Amino acid sequence: MLKILGAFCILGGCGYIGARISRIYKKRTELFRFLQNGLALLETEINYASTPLPLALERVGKKINKDCRPLFVKAAAVLQEKKGVTATEAWEAGVTALCHEVPLTEEEKELLFIFGHGLGGSDKEEQIKNIVLTQKQLNLLEKVAEEEQVRNQKMWQYLSFSIGAVIVLILI
Amino acid sequence: MAKVFINKNIKNINKEKIQENLSGIETSPLTVSSLTWFQALSPQLQELVVEGLQPFVGEIEEIRLRVNRPIVFRVGTQEMTVTAQKKFTLQLEQGYIVTREEMERTVQIFSQNSLYAWEDEFKNGYLTIPGGHRIGFVGRGVLDHGEIKTLKELSGINYRIGRQIIGCADEVLPYLVKREQVYHTLIISPPQCGKTTLLRDIIRQISDGRPDLHFPGMNVGLVDERSEIAGMYQGEPQFQIGLRTDVLDACPKAQGMMMLIRSMSPGLIATDEIGKKEDIDALYNALQAGVKVITTVHGSGFEEIKERLNLQSLINWRFFERIIVLSRREGVGTIEKILDGKTLERLR
Repeated sequence: MLKILGAFCILGGCGYIGARISRIYKKRTELFRFLQNGLALLETEINYASTPLPLALERVGKKINKDCRPLFVKAAAVLQEKKGVTATEAWEAGVTALCHEVPLTEEEKELLFIFGHGLGGSDKEEQIKNIVLTQKQLNLLEKVAEEEQVRNQKMWQYLSFSIGAVIVLILI
Repeated sequence: MAKVFINKNIKNINKEKIQENLSGIETSPLTVSSLTWFQALSPQLQELVVEGLQPFVGEIEEIRLRVNRPIVFRVGTQEMTVTAQKKFTLQLEQGYIVTREEMERTVQIFSQNSLYAWEDEFKNGYLTIPGGHRIGFVGRGVLDHGEIKTLKELSGINYRIGRQIIGCADEVLPYLVKREQVYHTLIISPPQCGKTTLLRDIIRQISDGRPDLHFPGMNVGLVDERSEIAGMYQGEPQFQIGLRTDVLDACPKAQGMMMLIRSMSPGLIATDEIGKKEDIDALYNALQAGVKVITTVHGSGFEEIKERLNLQSLINWRFFERIIVLSRREGVGTIEKILDGKTLERLR
């Protein structure tokens, strides 16, 4: 009786770990999608309302999905409190805060950093170009992440369950 | 005869007074950082002001930055500066030299890293910051089909610190209102004699009403083309302009006056620095609509104004019922005289 209970525990634990890992893939796909939404909101603030960056980032942060909220909220906070900080530095602080929430590859971080370099320092036309370009690239990343998700999500679920089963078999 | 509405007459600052000031009062840094214009300076310049100019912080009227030249502060008519060692001096050439990097950092700070948000402002060469202060700048023009698109490589920045003086129109108002009516009024003044400050307080008092004059207050429409009177920032007036005042911010005067008449039906329209032909036409239109007008014009006196081509017809037509002439004779905001516009009789 105790053995069966233990076996269930091991299977459940392994299954849970697998689910956690496969959720990261889902989160990444969603992140890239929501980041595109976030940039669209930022474009509205910049193009239509001419809102200065600290306030614009704060407003986007309030409206956006909570997974990519740290990026906008952190960047806005840095811009608002410290004088003499450039928009690029504030955005980098935001990207770093985002990395704590969702794992990003170096390449993906680089893309976000490059977006930060153009932030704020030019007229609307250039800002919009920068946003549209970054949105396109995020779209590509989203597709790649989606493929990975389809491929790996199932794999991790099966794999973790199988490993659990193997451990149970060995122990029995 | 003349009345000074700024009590603190800082026109004649002498060196002894400065010494006295420097050794005397110690203002706490807290009060300095609460000044809104102070927030728009770079950290380096903030330090200069705190260390070197502490006693004058409340009275600084202008801060001028020019690339590779010393920073200059103006208090009243006295120019002063701070050395790189953060020591106060009147020797301007010894002042802290403003570098190009300093300049760029300053632009980033006052534009809040958002150049796109101030496209029109950069085209016009000035912007308004919280607190209603104005920052003017010059640089190299970027042209598009022969018109200035924006400015780059800014080489000169001028902080003009706005100050409101509540009650500076106390003495004038009795001449401008009669029971529930207001007269068409023109304020004539040379630059920097406080005409915007006076106009702002007149607007506030007319808008709020003056119970002691049995004047109940009326709806005022303010066309603030250069965002100087109300000091609008992100849709909020930074100065007290009265509870019945509607502001049309950053709109050309002539168009703005017509818009206000149609949209808000004010009893009085206020605007400043008229002079173009279309402004005069708009004044006629306002008259047709039965709306009173109060406005200002650059000039040293009534005689000079009469010579101006555009204003001539207005004066000959006796449009304005009251004419206020300002000067700096006894300090900023000296009210030189008040004329009855119809008879040209001197009322004060």
